[in-house]
Amino acid sequence: MKWKTKAATAAIALLAFAGSAAAEGELNIFNWGDYTSPEMIKKFEDTYKIKVTITDYDSNDTALAKVRAGGHGFDIVVPSANYVQIWVKEGLLLEARPDQMENFKNVDERWVNVPWDEGRHYTVPWQWGLTGVGVNTKVYGGDINTSAIWLDPPAELVGKINVAPEMNDVLFATIKYLGGDWCTDDKELLKKVRDKLVEAKPKWLAMDYSVTEKLPAGDYAAVYYWNGAIMRSRAKNPDIKFGYPKEGFPYFMDSVAILKDAKNVENAKLFMNFIMEPENAAMISAFAKYANGIKGSMQFMPPEMQSAPELVVPPEFEKAGEFLATCAPEVQQLYTRIWTELQK
Amino acid sequence: MGRVRRTFDIRAQPGFGFIALLTFFGLYLPIAALVVYSFNGAESLSRWGGFSLRWFVSAWQNSTVQDAAIRSLVLAIWAATLATIAATMAALATTRTPPYPGLTFKYAFINQPLMVPEIVTAVALLIVFSRIKVWTGYTGLGYLVMAHTAFCIPFAYLPIRARLEGMDLTLERAAADLYATPWKTFRHVTLPLLRPAIVAGFMLAFVISLDDVVITEFVKSGGQDTLPTYMLGQLRRETSPEINAIATVFLVLSVLLVTVFFFVNRRKP
Repeated sequence: MKWKTKAATAAIALLAFAGSAAAEGELNIFNWGDYTSPEMIKKFEDTYKIKVTITDYDSNDTALAKVRAGGHGFDIVVPSANYVQIWVKEGLLLEARPDQMENFKNVDERWVNVPWDEGRHYTVPWQWGLTGVGVNTKVYGGDINTSAIWLDPPAELVGKINVAPEMNDVLFATIKYLGGDWCTDDKELLKKVRDKLVEAKPKWLAMDYSVTEKLPAGDYAAVYYWNGAIMRSRAKNPDIKFGYPKEGFPYFMDSVAILKDAKNVENAKLFMNFIMEPENAAMISAFAKYANGIKGSMQFMPPEMQSAPELVVPPEFEKAGEFLATCAPEVQQLYTRIWTELQK
Repeated sequence: MGRVRRTFDIRAQPGFGFIALLTFFGLYLPIAALVVYSFNGAESLSRWGGFSLRWFVSAWQNSTVQDAAIRSLVLAIWAATLATIAATMAALATTRTPPYPGLTFKYAFINQPLMVPEIVTAVALLIVFSRIKVWTGYTGLGYLVMAHTAFCIPFAYLPIRARLEGMDLTLERAAADLYATPWKTFRHVTLPLLRPAIVAGFMLAFVISLDDVVITEFVKSGGQDTLPTYMLGQLRRETSPEINAIATVFLVLSVLLVTVFFFVNRRKP
């Protein structure tokens, strides 16, 4: 009996305190949960004989708070576009110069000079997407490349619409639809924005996250939502078509950065270079179901993603897409007020 | 008629059945739905696609889930053990001494984790532990063990103290009369009588540690996701019934432990 207790205690002690020392050949990635392809990590580990540890976070703010506090032990973090500048300004990121790495030539020109990291001195693209329109063409056969689908819905779609419950995405599309620009503080225009949203909301069925189930099943006939989810809906129901709102639609992108106090800088740089290889970027996309910003990665993706109209922005709509800058606090306050009113 | 009701019975109040039913539905219907859909054959949280165990199998084979589950258990064993030892000592010190000024303060102090909002503790620990991590370079599981031990102590302390207060003091006095040293009295009289409460306290602390999200999320270092923080991380993208399957196993484990707690606590010596 006694030796058993002892053995168990020893085993627990070992389990608890093993792996705390930073050995050679390690890489600590701090990323959104359910966002990192295990196959891609396995390939990286096998290629470079580096042990990768992945830790999840659930929001930009949690990640920022933990890294800001220090002593976190992470090497790599994957912040969203509108957060990268905060990380840079607070001096949390290493200027790793991915633009001088071997595989940088594979990065799509569109994603090189991005507003949050001009010339890519800090970050490389991980995944990007956009908020667009998904319509069940059995219900409505007209033009779907417009925000009118959910702001001035045709009679067939009234009462069957779902809108993503994201303040910035909704306000951006509405401001653009009414001819304004993002971060505008034009009170006249914002009043119109509010009126438009308040008028449109009764014609919606819901503002929630269950699109991949309810759109293919026919519960929703139209959605304003993220392209990856609409692509997965279309896989289940081919009647669903994706539309790019020509008035304007928001992009999002998460980018990989190395932390200034990283312990495994060389391994982290290897990783950055590794994910700019088309084949490896394709593995990330195959898992997370969004596009990656690496040229030539499409051919390595699963067949149903290669020709996906949700992932390849047609040239005529490219100009309509925009990354949302962080507005001035007083503008943000106005937007929040409109949003709060809409939630009532 | 003016008949006076002899005894007050809450079950005889109008609307009792209705409110009770509503409460049961509110509390248990979502959990029941979660459990039912963990057996869903389709990849959906709202549409039934036949009975299947595939999500349990896929969760079982998911190495990230395995790691997180083992880490959760190791952490809970450590935290519950340390918390129970501390709680037993605290309970003895607060019940086997004559009352003195400051005793109430000590109660409050020991039970502080029950009062302070968890997020406050979490942020405070994040700041302090980060400093220590920078100074020492140690980023192991020790921080989580410490944090969990701290908030588990009151949960182990309360049943143990209740037991000590309810115990018959004559036995301990008899032992002392027969020339047993305080240690011998404790070892051969108090401790055996206290054992059920200690086991119960341990179980409760174990479950509390196993369930914790907020403090763990803030204190964890690289590669230290526990099952609850792993589940939280999954929520950014649409969840599959695999999460339901994990939650179901988690639920069964917790209910099992609480049931054992109940029976152990009820047993009379």
